Amino acid sequence: MNTSLAPTYKRLFGDHWILWYDVSNSYSVIDNTFKIVLDYYLESDTMEAFEAQLILEGKTSDPTTIAHTLNDYLNSCNTLTVPSKKILVAIDVSHRSIAKHYAIRGQIIQIYYASELVLKTIHPALAHLSVEATASSDITFDIYIKKKHLYLFKNEQLITCVPQGDYHLMQGQFIMHLICLTHHKVEDDWIGTFHGSTITDGNSSLLFVGASGKGKSTLCALLVASGFDLLADDVSPMLSESKNIYYNPSAVSIKEGAFSLLQSLVDGFNDLPLIQFNKSKGLIKYMPCKPPKEDFYPCRGIILVNYKAEALTKLETISIKTVLETLVPESWLSPNPVHAKEFLDWLDTVNTYQLTYSDTKSVAQEVSQLFHQLNKN
Amino acid sequence: MKKQNNLDKITRKDAIEKMGKYAALTAVGTFVILNPLKSHASSTPPPDPGGQIFPNS
Repeated sequence: MNTSLAPTYKRLFGDHWILWYDVSNSYSVIDNTFKIVLDYYLESDTMEAFEAQLILEGKTSDPTTIAHTLNDYLNSCNTLTVPSKKILVAIDVSHRSIAKHYAIRGQIIQIYYASELVLKTIHPALAHLSVEATASSDITFDIYIKKKHLYLFKNEQLITCVPQGDYHLMQGQFIMHLICLTHHKVEDDWIGTFHGSTITDGNSSLLFVGASGKGKSTLCALLVASGFDLLADDVSPMLSESKNIYYNPSAVSIKEGAFSLLQSLVDGFNDLPLIQFNKSKGLIKYMPCKPPKEDFYPCRGIILVNYKAEALTKLETISIKTVLETLVPESWLSPNPVHAKEFLDWLDTVNTYQLTYSDTKSVAQEVSQLFHQLNKN
Repeated sequence: MKKQNNLDKITRKDAIEKMGKYAALTAVGTFVILNPLKSHASSTPPPDPGGQIFPNS
């Protein structure tokens, strides 16, 4: 059989296998039945030989359907991803309408925004780092819109150009550069940037994941108000060298629905400026948090957040499959085989949970107990 | 903490029989394929019913 279609890595987690395919950088979660038959298929010389073997085994009346299912599956897992072409675009400095400066770890970053609206894509999450204009800066970014495309430049070199509606991709690129600057790293140093928020108790960390609107950021703000430290909101980077999650200096974005809850718990919450970026996102406040003691912590658990009005707080173990179905499609994971292996190694060490909550006191207590339990192991 | 694996001990014959049943039902539930994002992103914005997020320029 064409063994080049075989997965690069195969790992058993509980009763699921996770397979990783180098060509596509895709992760597949399969059950044991599928794994056994897939292995049998890959061991066979040809598809016809596989079908003949199935007939000999005498346990199926439809060997062709099984063979085609496996063939289609392997082809789907081996769809080549073509990296986007790097385009060369010269910077247009005529868009430098607003200049802001930020201090990050002794470095001064200058960002030129083309308009107040463009400024809202980045500045509110960094406002707590802004400083008065200085004579010189270490790094300069330019962000502007031209012909309905959003451009991001770093030191006058194009980083990305995306359709203006895809502003979240420009924000993502900027955050990666911000994290690299903060920790003196380059993009190739990271295993991935997980879509989720990470909290630390000063010993280890927990990664909170979940679909938009499930209350990740609100929960993290609550936990910060209860004495935990925020390591990263929305984008949680994991470094290859240490397999730890690192500090992301962006503020926590809080949606309007959580304002009333947080204003009684977070000092100065009412004084934070209201930001309206677009009508559908509603009003947002960006809550800055004091940095944690250390820049990085090992992550011992992934928690799927499920805010449910009136629900009792409940922490339950869930399968790695359920967690990966939420985590992987929303995260950037390095296609480097070394990093993919490290990601799988790390998954083997973490525990996976779902946390349903509505009550703020009991949820903080539950998270505290979980930290205590995981730190003992 | 190294986790315990708890695989059902199932023979190849049993697996083929089970798979034959799955295959007849288009194999739903036996596998998922998950693709990470191709580039960095912040939270995906919701659709903007108010029209374009940025004005024409």
